[in-house]
Order: sequence, then C-alpha cells, then structure tokens
Amino acid sequence: MQEMVSMTTLEFANVSFSYGPKIFMDQMSFSLAEGELVGLLGANGAGKSTLLKLAAGLLSPKKGKVMVGSKAVGSYSGKERAKLVAYLPQILDLQAPFRVGELVRMGEYPQEGSQPLSVEEALRIVGLQGKVNMHLAELSGGERRRAYIAMTLVQGTSVLLLDEPLASLDIKYQFDLYRLLKEIVRDKGVSVFMSLHDIGIGAMLDRLLLVKDGRLIAHGDPESVLRDEIVQDAYDLNHSIGLYLATNRTLSRALAVAGLH
Amino acid sequence: MKRDNHSTFLVAAALCVASLCIIAISVASGPRLLNPFSMDSETCRILLTLRLPRTAIALLMGGALGASGAILQGIFRNPLADPYILGISSGASLAASFGLMFGISLFTLSVPILAFIGAIATGAAVVILGHGWKGLQPERLLLAGVGIGFFLSAVLMLVMTLSVDDGLRRAVLWMSGDLSMVDWGVLPVGLSFIVTGLGLALTRRRGLNALTLGDDIAHSLGFNPTRERLFLFIAASFMTAASVSMGGVVGFIGLVVPHVVRRHVGSDAAVVLPLSVVAGGTFLCLADAIGRTVAAPLELPAGVIAALIGAPYFIFLLGQRKTH
Repeated sequence: MQEMVSMTTLEFANVSFSYGPKIFMDQMSFSLAEGELVGLLGANGAGKSTLLKLAAGLLSPKKGKVMVGSKAVGSYSGKERAKLVAYLPQILDLQAPFRVGELVRMGEYPQEGSQPLSVEEALRIVGLQGKVNMHLAELSGGERRRAYIAMTLVQGTSVLLLDEPLASLDIKYQFDLYRLLKEIVRDKGVSVFMSLHDIGIGAMLDRLLLVKDGRLIAHGDPESVLRDEIVQDAYDLNHSIGLYLATNRTLSRALAVAGLH
Repeated sequence: MKRDNHSTFLVAAALCVASLCIIAISVASGPRLLNPFSMDSETCRILLTLRLPRTAIALLMGGALGASGAILQGIFRNPLADPYILGISSGASLAASFGLMFGISLFTLSVPILAFIGAIATGAAVVILGHGWKGLQPERLLLAGVGIGFFLSAVLMLVMTLSVDDGLRRAVLWMSGDLSMVDWGVLPVGLSFIVTGLGLALTRRRGLNALTLGDDIAHSLGFNPTRERLFLFIAASFMTAASVSMGGVVGFIGLVVPHVVRRHVGSDAAVVLPLSVVAGGTFLCLADAIGRTVAAPLELPAGVIAALIGAPYFIFLLGQRKTH
C-alpha cells in the first residue's frame, strides 16, 4: 500500500507572543499539512485571532518561529508572502464600494498575471458567476463573504487563514460556505485554517485545535478533541455538555448522509 | 466584465466630450464674449493673458482636488474625507493670508509660494503626529489633521482680526477660491507638483484599492499599509498644496467629485483617479465660467459657485440612493 506523504504548509515552532509585558501565548507548536481543513476552537479571548494573525505575518512572535513553506513568514517580502498565505479577518468590509469583479481581481495583485485561477473561474467556484458587475452592497451577507473568498482563491495561496468565516451567517450560508471550503481543500490542495465558535461545524472538520489562555490544550480529530471534560475546561463550563456534543456528532453524521459533509 | 469595461469607456468618453465643450465655453465667456471667427488684437490679448490661463488653472486646480479627494476617501475609508479635512488648506490659508494681509509681496509669486509651504508643512506635521506605534493608522491621522486644522484656523482668525482692511478683503477672496487674479506665472510650479502627485498616486493605485478594504486585507495582498498610506498621503498633499497655492481654497470638489465618478464607473482607483481629475477640472471650469458671467461685471468666486451647484446635486444623489 502506498503511503500518502503530505507536505507541511504552516508550522508553529515553540511560538510565544505578548501584547505587552505579560506573555499571552506560550510555547505554541503545531503544523498544518497540505489539503487539510483545520478548525481552531476556544472561548472568546483565548487567542484564536492572535494565532491567525501570527500565521498571516500580521504579528511577529516574541520567541519561536512561524514557518510557511521553507521560511519564517516574517522573512518573506510582502509580495512573496502574499503568494503563499491569504488571510481574511473576522470583520470584513461588507459595504466596500467595489463591484464583485473589482474585488475579486485584487487577488491578482501578488501574482501579476500568472495567477493559477482566473477571476471567472473563482467566481464560478464560489457560485457568483453572472454577478461580476454587481456592487458588493447588492449581494446577501453570505455572497459577500464568498466574494472575498473568491479574491483569496485568485491569490492562489497554499494556505488560507479565515477568522470566524461563518460568524453572522444563517445556517444555509454556513453550509454553503463549509461545502465550498471542503471543495477548495479537496480540489485545489489548499490548507484551510479557520477559527470557529460553532462546535457543531467543528465536529465536521478534518482536525481541530482547541486553545485556552494562549495555550493549545487539545488537538487531533474532532472525536478526540470534542470530549466533555476537554470542552468544559476550554470554555470554563461547570456542567456536563455531553448530550450537546453527542447531538452535534449525530448532526454531523446526518449531514454526511445528506451529502453536506 | 466586458460590459463593465464597455460602460466605463462610454462614461469616460462622454466626460471628455463634456469637458471639451465646457473648456470652450469657459474660454469664450466672460464680461466680453469672445468670437473665435473674428479675432482682433484685443481679443487675442484677452484670450492669452486672461481666459486661457484662468481656464487652464481652473482645470488643474479642480483636477488636483478631485484626485486628492478620491485618494483620501480611500486611505481613510471615510466617504466624508476631502483634501481640506486634514488641515492642509488651513495651513495654506494661514501662510497665504499672512502674506496678503501684512503686505509680504517681495515678488509676484510670493503668495502661492507661501501657500504651498504652509500646506506642505501642515501635511508633514499631520503625518508626524498621526504616526503611532502601529504605523499610520487612519483614525489617528484623521484626528491629527482635524486638530491641527482647527488650531491653524483659530490662528488665522486671530491674524485676520489684526490685519488692515484691504489685506483682509483680499485674503477673504483668496479663501473663497477666487480665480480673478491668476496668471500664467503660477502654472509651471503648480503643474509640476500636480503631475508629480498624480503620477505617484497612479503608481500606488493597487495599494489604494487594497487599503479601501482595510489594513489586514491590504497586508494579506502583499502591501505594507503604512508605506502605501504615506505615499498616497504625500501625493494628495502635493496636489492639494499645488491647487490651493494657485487659486486659493475651493471647497466641495474634493468631496463630491469622487463620489459622482465612483457612482458611474465603480471604485477601481485605476479608473477613478484619472476620471476624478477630468471631472474635477471640468466642474471647477464650469463654476468659474458661471461665476464671472452670471452677475457680470461683478465676479463671484469659483469656490462659492462650486459649492452652490455641488451641494444640491450631492443631496439629490443621496436622495436617489435612498430610493434605490
């Protein structure tokens, strides 16, 4: 049997970070393989956004290294980095004064004409074909987020970092976006690393990282991470949520049967 | 996308045709109507020494203000940003008024030069004060500009109360955007700074688009937000300073023209910047032509006419947006 060897696209090696004198993130180590859809869970203020910003090169670690490809993310020039990593913040300007085509074309900037995916193809993948001339403000909330994702697809990076991409979307758009990300991971070999606050969606991903107070307290497949005692500790709960987790796992399996997972 | 490009081309072509017509009207109109088919020496003199420089300077000033407004609204992500919100005009006004009111006229270009120095010095002070530990953040830069602007305006009021009557009148006219005193002399320096500013802005057009989406996205697309914002701010400051130094303070164009242009051609800076130049220049040319004919022989400042026409149109556009 041939063994599948996946390349590491993103690696945190003993990364520590602080906003002031107090250490906020300590000795964080994990890696992301090519073509993985990995979720990042944790309570508000646990360090999810900080971790994604470190991965994007928006913040620099105080100690340790954030590696993208073969080099530290901070050692690339802006344009080189933008060919490898794309980042979408939690708060997107959904009222930006651009047409869909103008927004998505911005993904071409780092590649300068040699991008692996055309604007039209990216729009087709996210289901916005035919809306190229529409203003962003004319689309639904879910479509606007998909337009931003199309921009990152045109950017053609191997790592896609998404901060709470499913927040404020209703269940239809959550599943649409989730299915889209699964397709991108499967068809384009992109590694997607996204923060979430919905444990139900987390149960459907390839792998989960659970953080608390800037520390990684669990990582692995959803079955092993989403255990009652671990989740109680992560979210400082003082009661069992075993039934809630079991329901989410059941829902996840039901969605798999329905072809959504 | 083809339809997109096609409609942009049509809008650009229509704007250029309108611009040529308004230039022709501006050159011909005034207290004495010029007939191109019967040119005597007096007509030629009026054409060469009054109408052509005035029209050229109105085009340049309006164009510079239109492009500056488009840049500043993008880098501040604020639709209310305009070339004067950052105190640049206050700095120019203070320096120029100081010259006008206290009779500093060592040579003919002393007022434009003083205005230019005042504008650039204010722009530099805004950048220094607006630079925090996270680089040039829009909110900090905006607050620094507004604060400096208010301070310089207060100093200007103080200087005006201390001035002699004739100088005061000239300063008030200058601050209303009065083009009646312009001549060819101010053109070369103004033109060179506007071309430099516009050229710099056009080379950073992609950065301007990216900054409009926020610093995090701009960074993700490979830009250094602080560096892009600084270059674009310098470009806008150069154009605003050159405009103010040539013909005084003309309000409203920098605010309204980029909105009107974006409404018709979208928000890509590669299109918005050049079309804001054409639209801004054309609009000021029209305002100046109206200002010198509507109450002839009395001349109304172009800046006043621009605001009187522009404000109702802007409110009309807002009303339309609401109904859609």
